[in-house]
Amino acid sequence: MRTKVFISLLLAAFVTGLFFVAVPAQAAEPIKIGALLPLADATGKDGSRSMELAVKEINEKGGVLGRQIKLIIIDDELKAEKAAAGLDKLCTVDNVDFLVGGMSSGVTMALIPGMKKYGKVVVWAGAAFSGVEKAMEGQDWFFHLHSWDYQQGAFYEKGWAALKEKYPNFKRDKMFMAYEEGAFGSGSFKGQKVLAEQNKYEVQGEAFKSAAMGGGDYRSVLRHAKEYKPDQFIWVGYDKDALPIMEQAKEIGFSPLTFVGSPPAWPVDFAKQPLNEGVLLFSYWADAMKNVSKPSKAYSDAFHKEFKDTPTTYFGPLAYTNIMILADAIKKAGTTDKAAVIKALEATNYDSPLGDKFVFKKSNVIDHQANAWPKFMQWQKGKLEVIWPFEYATAKLIYPFPAWDARGKK
Amino acid sequence: MINSIVNKFKQRNFLIGFIIVLLAIVLIGIYKPHVLFEGLQRAALYALIALPMALLLGIVDIVNLAHGEFMMVGAYFAYFMNVQFGMDPIVAVIPALILFFLFGIFVYYITFKHIIGKEPLSQLLLGFGVGLVLAETITVIATNFPRKLGLDYVSSSATIGGFTFGTFEFVYVAAAIIVLVGLQLFLKKTDTGQAALAVGQNPRGAKIVGINVQWIYLLIFALSIALIGAIGPLFGTRYTIFPAVGGGYTLKSFILVAVGGMGSLNGVVLAALILGMAETLVLSSLQYGKWADIIYFALIIGFILYRSHQRQVK
Repeated sequence: MRTKVFISLLLAAFVTGLFFVAVPAQAAEPIKIGALLPLADATGKDGSRSMELAVKEINEKGGVLGRQIKLIIIDDELKAEKAAAGLDKLCTVDNVDFLVGGMSSGVTMALIPGMKKYGKVVVWAGAAFSGVEKAMEGQDWFFHLHSWDYQQGAFYEKGWAALKEKYPNFKRDKMFMAYEEGAFGSGSFKGQKVLAEQNKYEVQGEAFKSAAMGGGDYRSVLRHAKEYKPDQFIWVGYDKDALPIMEQAKEIGFSPLTFVGSPPAWPVDFAKQPLNEGVLLFSYWADAMKNVSKPSKAYSDAFHKEFKDTPTTYFGPLAYTNIMILADAIKKAGTTDKAAVIKALEATNYDSPLGDKFVFKKSNVIDHQANAWPKFMQWQKGKLEVIWPFEYATAKLIYPFPAWDARGKK
Repeated sequence: MINSIVNKFKQRNFLIGFIIVLLAIVLIGIYKPHVLFEGLQRAALYALIALPMALLLGIVDIVNLAHGEFMMVGAYFAYFMNVQFGMDPIVAVIPALILFFLFGIFVYYITFKHIIGKEPLSQLLLGFGVGLVLAETITVIATNFPRKLGLDYVSSSATIGGFTFGTFEFVYVAAAIIVLVGLQLFLKKTDTGQAALAVGQNPRGAKIVGINVQWIYLLIFALSIALIGAIGPLFGTRYTIFPAVGGGYTLKSFILVAVGGMGSLNGVVLAALILGMAETLVLSSLQYGKWADIIYFALIIGFILYRSHQRQVK
């Protein structure tokens, strides 16, 4: 009898002991964040490194809710089918708790059905195409960080108006836009025509075949631009077009008052080329911002310490922001429960290394839109300087664009 | 040769065609002079890239769908030689010729040698596979970030009477002439070249008369790869390079070889001239520039219809 009681007590103690061992093991389970990025692209390289940096910083401080963050990054290769398969893996095999990342609008469109199917909280850094916004109407779990195309366009006009006010000689009555013949370029020109009408300036445009699609000879479109005698020339294409356009503009002697480039990213070689002097561009961040923004300096210093390198695209600090915002929200929510995290994300107020404060508001369609606002930047002596907004300016505008035959002469 | 040219002019249709072309050149020269210069430069680049394929496909009947990818690898070779050793890409043409000749021998032995004489689909698939391997290998080594050397001389220009035009791309014109003349001399004036023509026409007959057919295939393949690999550095001076840059040029070269006439190097150059000039002329129009790509397809359709008509007439 005593033996039976003893064995029963021993068994009870054993089972109770198992419970105490199991509970801490469950609490130690990491919070899994799944990311989709184009790793072979400059944006994906900067983005993945910055996400890893953010996760490292968070985990070194003890993680979130006593749990480490586990980041699982899948390469979408800028291909819709790879991205969709990656999303399936993240949600079904890896069982991630949250989804982040994104760059290409086209790839994001392909992910939307999967995102809706799995219904996880998504804090999405990429995609500017407003078609994505329309497709996400009513999805309360979708939080978006990148400006939409229509928001960017309106903001640029604000910037040009500010430059006109600050620099009295600045002219922008006639604009020529050379755009790549695909959806990105054609859509940009369509939007530009509307803005030109609203802001009362002339615009002419012509499509070119991007080097990304087998082109690479821009002389015809540059000659038409030269004949038009615009105050401002802007090209909308890809990183592969950047340097050849400058070379061929120099070749035919085309130097308008402002020369603007608008690719999603710039090639790594472009910074070293003297032809870049005076080229204006729109971006969300430059390394020079560390001189005017504390969060930007902290990010730049940490990135450099970790990778002995500098991000070349704004997707670096944007991806860092992506992780930090989500981690903060989980911490505020006190749980990974979907409804609680959504509520906490809605209360986001984050000072980003992009220089902007990220707060989620309603956009035209979705309820949760935060914004990095684009900045006007200019290549000056091999460095990318911020020209506008003036509170982030690191240099004055070089105007007009230096004429080709005057360069190198004293 | 002079007699054959004179005889051509005696043919009425040829004379009329020649006068029309001459008039077109004069009119374009007056109203859009840049079309003549840029059209010629564009045509020269097309011809330069297509001629090695013409040698391989037109002479010995081997289809290499990795043609553009070999050019891409050549461009990357020159890029890294410049970054690592400061070698100018035009100078890099010489080591590229040697390196790609050896590389061509290696590729032939492990791939194309085994499907010579087999059905054309095997060659197409093999070439496609080799192209994929080359592109993916470069992606792994160099990523697909675009690369472009900043070379002062590529934006050199000249001005005549207020008209400014680029001068660097005349390098492509010079290179195309050198390759064309070199290949013609090789094929017509050397025993090896004559043997290559014989193998292309009738491999079995060539073997019977004692020509080492396998050695000819190897040599011509390696020579074709050497040429296209050496063209890569020239291409990369002007164009941004990335792993997928070669594919479009493979297709264009294939079309030019087909349109120019299999086995006719001069025909390939003429087809390239027509394509280059026509594309540049269409691009020079602000309204109709977007139709430039159609020229390429119109050329193919026009050629097929013409050939079909010729066969019916015969």
